[in-house]
Amino acid sequence: MKLHIDRSGKTPLYLQIRSQIRQLILANDLPPGFRLPPERKLATTLGVNRSTVVNAYHELVADGLIQPHVGKGTIVSPPQPVGPSHDRFTNANDSEALGAPVQPISWQNFYTRQSERLHNPVLASILDEIGEEDQISFALGSPAGEYYPLQEFSQISQEVMRPGNWQAFEYGPTIGHYPLRQYIADWLSQRGIRTQAQTILITSGSQQGLDLLTKVFLEPGDYIVMEEPSFLGAIGVFKASGAHILTVPLDQEGLRIDVLEQILARHRPKFIYTLPTFQNPSGITTSLARRQQLLKLAYQYHVPIVEDDPYSELFYGNQPFPSLKSLDEYGHVIYLGTFSKILFPGLRLGWCVAPTPVLEQLSLAKQHVDLHTSTTAQWVMTEFCKRGLLDEHLLIVRKQYKCQRDAMVYALKEFAPQGLSWTVPEGGYYLWCELPPGMKAAALLTKAAEKKVTFVPGNAFYVNSGGKDRIRLCFCRHSETTIREGIYRLCEAITEMLNQSQTKGTTNRPRFTEPLV
Amino acid sequence: MQHTYAKRVTHMENSAIRELLKLAEQPHIISFAGGLPAPELFPLSEIRESYAQVLGAGDPSVLQYGTTEGYLPLREEISDQMRSKGIPSEADNIFLTNGSQQGLDLIAKLFLDPGDVVLLQNPSYLGAIQTFRSYQANFATIPTNAAGIDDIALEVSIKLNRPKLIYLAPTYQNPTGTTLTIEERKAVLRVASKYGVPIIEDDPYGELRYEGSALPAIRSFSTEDEVIYLGTFSKTLAPGLRLGWIVAGKSLIAKLVVAKQGTDLHTSTLLQRATHYYLNHFDANQHIETIRQAYKVRRDLMLSELQENFSNQAIWTKPTGGMFIWLTLPEKYDTVNLLPSVLTGNVAYVPGAHFFTDEGSCSSMRLNFSNPTPLQIQQGIKLLATILTL
Repeated sequence: MKLHIDRSGKTPLYLQIRSQIRQLILANDLPPGFRLPPERKLATTLGVNRSTVVNAYHELVADGLIQPHVGKGTIVSPPQPVGPSHDRFTNANDSEALGAPVQPISWQNFYTRQSERLHNPVLASILDEIGEEDQISFALGSPAGEYYPLQEFSQISQEVMRPGNWQAFEYGPTIGHYPLRQYIADWLSQRGIRTQAQTILITSGSQQGLDLLTKVFLEPGDYIVMEEPSFLGAIGVFKASGAHILTVPLDQEGLRIDVLEQILARHRPKFIYTLPTFQNPSGITTSLARRQQLLKLAYQYHVPIVEDDPYSELFYGNQPFPSLKSLDEYGHVIYLGTFSKILFPGLRLGWCVAPTPVLEQLSLAKQHVDLHTSTTAQWVMTEFCKRGLLDEHLLIVRKQYKCQRDAMVYALKEFAPQGLSWTVPEGGYYLWCELPPGMKAAALLTKAAEKKVTFVPGNAFYVNSGGKDRIRLCFCRHSETTIREGIYRLCEAITEMLNQSQTKGTTNRPRFTEPLV
Repeated sequence: MQHTYAKRVTHMENSAIRELLKLAEQPHIISFAGGLPAPELFPLSEIRESYAQVLGAGDPSVLQYGTTEGYLPLREEISDQMRSKGIPSEADNIFLTNGSQQGLDLIAKLFLDPGDVVLLQNPSYLGAIQTFRSYQANFATIPTNAAGIDDIALEVSIKLNRPKLIYLAPTYQNPTGTTLTIEERKAVLRVASKYGVPIIEDDPYGELRYEGSALPAIRSFSTEDEVIYLGTFSKTLAPGLRLGWIVAGKSLIAKLVVAKQGTDLHTSTLLQRATHYYLNHFDANQHIETIRQAYKVRRDLMLSELQENFSNQAIWTKPTGGMFIWLTLPEKYDTVNLLPSVLTGNVAYVPGAHFFTDEGSCSSMRLNFSNPTPLQIQQGIKLLATILTL
């Protein structure tokens, strides 16, 4: 059992040990029945205090992954599958009946009030930076303002607000404006998702969809599964609910199904959250085979899938694989869509497609949250879409964003110092970069800020520690010229840091935890 | 597939409001049920012009992401307005929401753990009760006596129930239309401050004043940010826009920012820009004056129709502002049971029981006078009296 302890990082040692052993167990490198080294011995091997190992083992016991046995030591637990009809709320009683000792639960995770768990400094600072025009931001995942169809939108809003059309300003149904839902249903049907207006809820952006799902499904102590790295807005809202987040790594084909299966064999998550197409931040698209395997596992273990799909229309090569929702034969997928990335974000309009009973619960939750999404915004958007302007707009941005992606890649090729690498996604918004060995994104951020360029440091997309040597760059917001200038500045910052660390012989330590000021 | 929801889902009720929104859409029904402003009074051409100007300036930032607390110039404008009403505030104290319903939800999210107690008026605004309930709150009633709020009993109740929040709509309250006196406002604040209980002051109707002078908001007496004030453009501009605001201490605003980020990032940028334009380029006060005059006529008409048709057996409130009259029939009547036959007779109201935290039988009903036309008020109240055969 090989563990690597990083003493420079901010993650406590016991959590590092816990997370690495957890990965080994879930990857089946430590099979059920495997005897973990005694605490004292592991402590000596790693050169840490015994209490550090004790704490790590405690966490793993709480995770249900290992179990101390008197006389035998600490043993990796076998998966404990639970049947589809199993009632979660009687878990504890059942395990008692099965003769297994009741697992202690890390209650400290649940006692905190939700407001204390609500914390997302990265998102806050990304939103705050809007309007700081002198800097080049690759941080905010925003479309390019220069292509916003202002004139058409203005024209249509004038027509919608014609004298006597009070309806566009009145209270409306919580589920949303029917003609808009009808339009979206037809639009999705063209993309293989068989749906009707009745199963579509209009949300105030897809962030609200995530929030409503959290409200309807999650309680403190529940498990959910998500890819790591993943969308930071989703991590934030799931964390705030007090749920346990189980993470599945990604490879080039997408979500690692083998790891997912190990998790599902051990836990009963409330849902699997995935962003299968042009993933944020990695840009990875889950392969068709993986999509089918994922659905099969969801059916087998009776777990709903939440498919977040803001980017699939923004493809720069071939059309992407069909969505999970379109492949779903048994109503297991809840689908989130939004106008924010394909059109513009300022109206806050998104949608959620879900089986009728779920949609009713979500609507009810939304009623308590904000009654309904702006009637006026929905009317104008309906007219905009019905005139074919959304589809026209997509043709423009696909072409432009492809050029912008290429411009960013080209600039990186030209300016990047040794050791910096990046992905080239087939669609979406982001390049996902790995910094030269030893360089930390948080430190680079400070340096880059001096050069008036920003990005999101990779750790924002990780639930646990990780991603400190990664950065996310959005290529959609700025023109090709600005992108080139920004990449030049960024690479200059990286090069300077490389030189600095050579002359000083020390690595830069992150000076602040809230990255974008 | 069978879904396993969170426990709180069992506390989310399908509300009368939701059903009523459907009801109100049927044209043959004279509806006193909705809480709706009169659509013919929306300043439509002014809003239209505001959108035209904002979208026509060629500035894409009107469709861009914005900051969570809201568009700064609009927050400045609102804080000016608040100051002119005697509520001390700076832009930093203002937080924009998708209508005041979202304000209630965010505050509940920040304050309420399951089992926590909210102290409120009984009856109270249905949407507030339901939101608190969705966070699994329990309720206690703000005690009253013949003179209004009983501050001694209130103090006992706070000691006994240890509420997390006090929820009040002090001006032209929904559903009763009643207003707290200055003495009552000060008394509640004094007791709440003593025990450190925050007050949510919900004020959607304050501008709809038909007689007398405006009473100061509770927040205007507050020195320690104990009062969280909720305002909205739903009644003075149009409800379908979905725009409201919170006035609170800066530390609470910081908490609200974090809560709203996870909820929907921010309120529509375009809507905030257009509203800002409207407030700066049109005479919002003149528009409010127009609404006041129209609603006053309708209130007077409903009061005189009630006098004519119900005076023998029923009693009702005589609100000096707002949108609602609270009509109480003799005790033997149950307005929940009566509603189906009244609907068959093509009139709608909201049964009083829905506005209580403990929905027992109740002989009261809420009547809205702002949405129906004067003619509908005349016909509808007569019809209601006939159906109820009083």
